Amino acid sequence: MTDFNYQDIDDVIHSRIRTAIMAVLISVDEAEFTFIREKINATDGNLSVHLKKLEEHNYISVKKEFVDRKPVTRYRITDIGRKAFEDYIKKLESIIKR
Amino acid sequence: MTDIANNLSTIKAEEEISVIKKIMEDSKKAIVDNGWHYIYWGSIVTAALITNYLMVVYNISMNSQGMLWFISMTSAAILEGIIERKREKHAKVKTFAGRLLNTLWSGSGICMFILGFAGTLSGAYNAIMIFPLISIILGSAYLISGVIQQVKWLSALCIFWWTGSILLLLYPGIHSMLVFAAMIVCFQIIPGVLLFAKSKRELKLRAV
Repeated sequence: MTDFNYQDIDDVIHSRIRTAIMAVLISVDEAEFTFIREKINATDGNLSVHLKKLEEHNYISVKKEFVDRKPVTRYRITDIGRKAFEDYIKKLESIIKR
Repeated sequence: MTDIANNLSTIKAEEEISVIKKIMEDSKKAIVDNGWHYIYWGSIVTAALITNYLMVVYNISMNSQGMLWFISMTSAAILEGIIERKREKHAKVKTFAGRLLNTLWSGSGICMFILGFAGTLSGAYNAIMIFPLISIILGSAYLISGVIQQVKWLSALCIFWWTGSILLLLYPGIHSMLVFAAMIVCFQIIPGVLLFAKSKRELKLRAV
C-alpha cells in the first residue's frame, strides 16, 4: 500500500464549498450566483469568497450584467477548471482504489 | 499509523465522491423545458389548420391559404425568438440539455418550414401531404426530447405521431387537416400542459 501524499491534492478545489461549486458548474453550461447558492446551501458572503478564489486561479469565469436593471452574476467553468476538477476526481478515485 | 491514515483518507475520498455525484445529478435536474413551446406552437398550428380547413370549404384560393401559413408561421417564429431571448436573460442556469433541446427543435422547425413551403411551392407533392411528413419529423423530435428530458411518456408520443403519419399517407384528403389538428391537440398541447404542470410542481417542491 502506497502512502497518501497530501501534496498531490489540488488545494484550490479541496475545500467542501469549492468542490461543491465545481461540481455544480461542471454539470451545467452557465449558472447564476443564486442557483449555485441554492444548490450548495451556502451563505452569500461565504460563497463569494470561495467563488473569488476559484476565479483567481482561472478555474471559473465570471460574467456580470444587468437584467431589468438588477445586477446578475453568472459563472462558468473554464477549460483549466474542468481539467483540474477531472484530475481531482481521478486523484480521489486512485485513493479509493489503493 | 500510516494504515489508519490511509483508511481515513479512503473513507473521506469515498464520501467526497458521493457528495460530488449527488450535487452533479441535482444540478443536471434543472428544468430545461416547462412545456410552453408545445402549448404555444400547438395552439398556433391548430388555429391555422382550422382556418385553412374553412378556407378550403369556402373555396378561398390556394395562394391565400399559402399566405395564411407563411404569415402565421413566420410571425410566430419571430415572436418566439423575442420571448426566448427574454426567458434566457432571466434563466438562472443554462444546461447542455437545454441547448440540445433548442437545437433539436430549431432544426426540426426548419425541416418543417422547408417541407411546408419549398416542398409544396416546387410542386414536388400535393399540399395535403405536408401533414404526414411533418408528423414524421414531430415523432422523431418527441422521441429525442423525451430522452433528453428523461421523460419516458414524452418519447412514447412518437408512436402516435408515426402511426398518424402512416394513416395520413394512406388515406389523404381534406379531412387530413382536421385529423392533424386533433393530433396536435392530443399529442402536443395536452403533453405541453402536463409538462407545464410538472415543472410547476417541481418548482414548488424546491421552494419548500
